[in-house]
Amino acid sequence: MHARSDFAAGGPAARPIRDLYYVRVATTGLSFLFFGLFGLVLGLLVVPLLLLLPGSRDLRRVRVRRMVRLAFRSLVGFMNQSGGISYAFSGAERLGRPGQLVIANHPSLIDIVLLVAFVPGAACVVKRAAWRNPSMVLAVDAAGYVPNAPTGEMIERAAALLEAGECLIMFPEGTRTVPDRPAHFHRGAASVAVRSARVVTPVFIDVRPPHLSKSVPWYRVPARRPHYSLTVGPDIDPAPFRDRPPPVASRMLNEALKSCYAHVVRTT
Amino acid sequence: MPVLPRMHDTDAILAELRATLAELFELDPARITPDARLSEDLEIDSIDAIDLMDRLRRQTGRRISIEGFRSVRTVGDLVQAIQALVSEG
Repeated sequence: MHARSDFAAGGPAARPIRDLYYVRVATTGLSFLFFGLFGLVLGLLVVPLLLLLPGSRDLRRVRVRRMVRLAFRSLVGFMNQSGGISYAFSGAERLGRPGQLVIANHPSLIDIVLLVAFVPGAACVVKRAAWRNPSMVLAVDAAGYVPNAPTGEMIERAAALLEAGECLIMFPEGTRTVPDRPAHFHRGAASVAVRSARVVTPVFIDVRPPHLSKSVPWYRVPARRPHYSLTVGPDIDPAPFRDRPPPVASRMLNEALKSCYAHVVRTT
Repeated sequence: MPVLPRMHDTDAILAELRATLAELFELDPARITPDARLSEDLEIDSIDAIDLMDRLRRQTGRRISIEGFRSVRTVGDLVQAIQALVSEG
């Protein structure tokens, strides 16, 4: 019994486990397994086949993004059906507009999976490591995703996508929030927005209890079934900020973004 | 918009740079001395550097890569880097 209370998040004093705890441990493991296996099949077989189909570069990019979206949608469906998580996404129909920068806080590993699954046609700024992962590199490249790096290249590529009328997903925190520690909103997203977003739309992600957060191994499944609540907030118009020079404008916009997230995440 | 092209002497470059930095970062020009450290004293970070590079690119009409500015710490270093760039011809 000792092992059980240790396993459930929170250690010995944890609340009693419920919601089919052991089933959730198993299906969480399966979710990772599926992610890995389907990732291999899609990344090494389906993507190359898609790239062989005739069509312009743009059309290929659309196809690959559609495939990624479908795969993530299936993964979300599996996690939901198998009881691993539950979720509610309110306002998703306002996402995916041309030139829209979608920003979100980043409490969990699967935030990007949920966002990509529900934002049609979107590009995203993705961990650089994906370009070193053999099963991901073709997909992220063909999908035209932008590797995250603290460089001008990332900012310029992200801004160019928005300029071209695409929708882009970014996490201003850059990496997942460590629970109970204040988050740091990097200015990269605000800088990209000031450069070329037509509109900035915040998504507020609230996960209770915390799930797949940083510094917690995946098998440390929370005692209760985690619920993901994703809420699309009101649009922010970046235009008024452009009256000031870009460095000043991006600082002001970043402050505005932080205060708009104050109810879900504590920022520094 | 000030234009930098045929400028080779450091004083002229410093004067132009002072005007540029003051405008771009809304800084008091008096703080922009050759000894001022960009990040510590003027709070210009790596993202600002991108906007600054953009501006310098337009002013000098040259391709500027951030590589040439890796070792830049102070306003004085920046003046020298720009001078090296414009005198390359």
